[in-house]
Amino acid sequence: MTTLVTHLQTGALLPESILHSDSFKILATFVALNTLMYATLALMKLLPKGYAFSWFSGRNRRAQDRSIGSAPPETDS
Amino acid sequence: MIGLIIFGVASIAATLLLAAASAVGPRVEIAPSTGFFLGIWSVLYAIEAPTPRVAVASVALAALLASGVALIELRISNRSRRSSDAHTDPLAPKLVMARTRGVYAGPVTVTVLIPAHNEEASLAQTIASLTSQSHPPERIIVVADNCTDSTVDVGRLAGVEVVESVGNTHKKAGALNQVLRWLVPTQGENDAVMIMDADTSLDDGFLETAVARFTSDRALMAIGGLFYGEDGAGMLGQFQRNEYSRYSRDIRRRRGRVFVLTGTASIFRPAALRAVAQSRGTAIPGITGDVYDTAALTEDNELTIALKTLGALMISPSQCTVVTEMMPTWRALWNQRLRWQRGALENLGAYGMKPKTFRYWAQQLGIGYGVIALTAYFALILITSLSIDAWVWFPFWMGLGLLFAVERVVTAWDGGWHARLLAVALIPELVFATFLNVVYIKGVMDILFKRQAGWAHLTPTTIGEGSSGEGSTAVAPG
Repeated sequence: MTTLVTHLQTGALLPESILHSDSFKILATFVALNTLMYATLALMKLLPKGYAFSWFSGRNRRAQDRSIGSAPPETDS
Repeated sequence: MIGLIIFGVASIAATLLLAAASAVGPRVEIAPSTGFFLGIWSVLYAIEAPTPRVAVASVALAALLASGVALIELRISNRSRRSSDAHTDPLAPKLVMARTRGVYAGPVTVTVLIPAHNEEASLAQTIASLTSQSHPPERIIVVADNCTDSTVDVGRLAGVEVVESVGNTHKKAGALNQVLRWLVPTQGENDAVMIMDADTSLDDGFLETAVARFTSDRALMAIGGLFYGEDGAGMLGQFQRNEYSRYSRDIRRRRGRVFVLTGTASIFRPAALRAVAQSRGTAIPGITGDVYDTAALTEDNELTIALKTLGALMISPSQCTVVTEMMPTWRALWNQRLRWQRGALENLGAYGMKPKTFRYWAQQLGIGYGVIALTAYFALILITSLSIDAWVWFPFWMGLGLLFAVERVVTAWDGGWHARLLAVALIPELVFATFLNVVYIKGVMDILFKRQAGWAHLTPTTIGEGSSGEGSTAVAPG
């Protein structure tokens, strides 16, 4: 345990105090926020994509036959 | 300039995010403490996580940004679809419908153009994938461009027309322009033109689906293929295959709404190509009369933006799939991606910030921000690991890591077990993402210092040794 704490205080290459510096905390906060944001995007990619508007809106239905051989319709939309 | 604008905006976004975070809560601290796992092993762990308020805010911000971009894009594309302004949207469905009403121009036919530059190795297979379709094309023309191998003979032997480009110095786009210039005026309203890479094979059913779509909707101007990667090229190939699987999944989830009409295989109504050729030099960049803009590095991406600008209706149906070549070496991939990245940025620069390019700007901004975010992440890991001499567990962040692993696996699921195994490991794909980020930065730098862009070509017979680029033009996932 003592060794562990000593290691912690000295660190491998950089002083452990760097972890308590203000700029390091800013970096950690930035990474934390990004991680959460990207996690949200990941979750959105997992969930089924909903097209709620198309369930209710009649505007998505074609008002006329658009095929190449269709007869001229009375109205256009 | 364009790259700097995007990178600059992404940096401003990052700074704003930090400022907002500092304003709403305390900073995240990484101060490890010791504990016992299952009461036995002494472990070092850090429970630090952002305060709930900050966490909820960032989750909400991400959700808002993602759905905001999607909604704005949907709104812009709907407005374009319902437009009847012949000046701004000459290819808008209503106008096309009005022009073709009551006129039957015959059944839908398909003429395939295969631009080929030294493609003797793969051309025969490409032609075979066309002739064996359940609905074979009516006409196949190989556009041989400055070939020094037996591409022309392979084409003739396969029984298709071969046209050689004359004095062309504008690569694939230039060669295609030469042929389209005489071909398009002879095509009827329903005589579709397909452009297909010589290193690509169509899956069966592609043309049948495309013809059915063009038959049922005379306002439909273009159909883009969904590409996935051929087998081989080891782990590097698997990285690319995973990327392509995810891209196809994204397009399916978008209900086929097109990002890019891929150069690997896309079909156009002649009216669309005519409108593009006529509008170049005025409404869209390029030389009047050219279908492809020869100044663009990614001519398929450019043509997509051109068609969107003119209000064309286009789709990528999930049945229209093609198998395309994978880059076999990191160097070849580097060259390919540098060209795609640079091409995409330069296309945006050429078109500027308009509603119809909104989605592409958002995508580039996303990539730019991703570069900053991933670099910050690696910096944090590096500093932490150099400052602490023991392994530290971060339960909160490891939980999120699990979510990322699930997302990676599910989105690459269609690629099979190899794809899923690579995805679940997380780290390799993170390394691949870093590689793509470095390409992005190199692209931005090259544009900034106006370096000549490379358009190298991969000769299939020399794969693995000294190949320095490639010739296909699928502009892929963002």
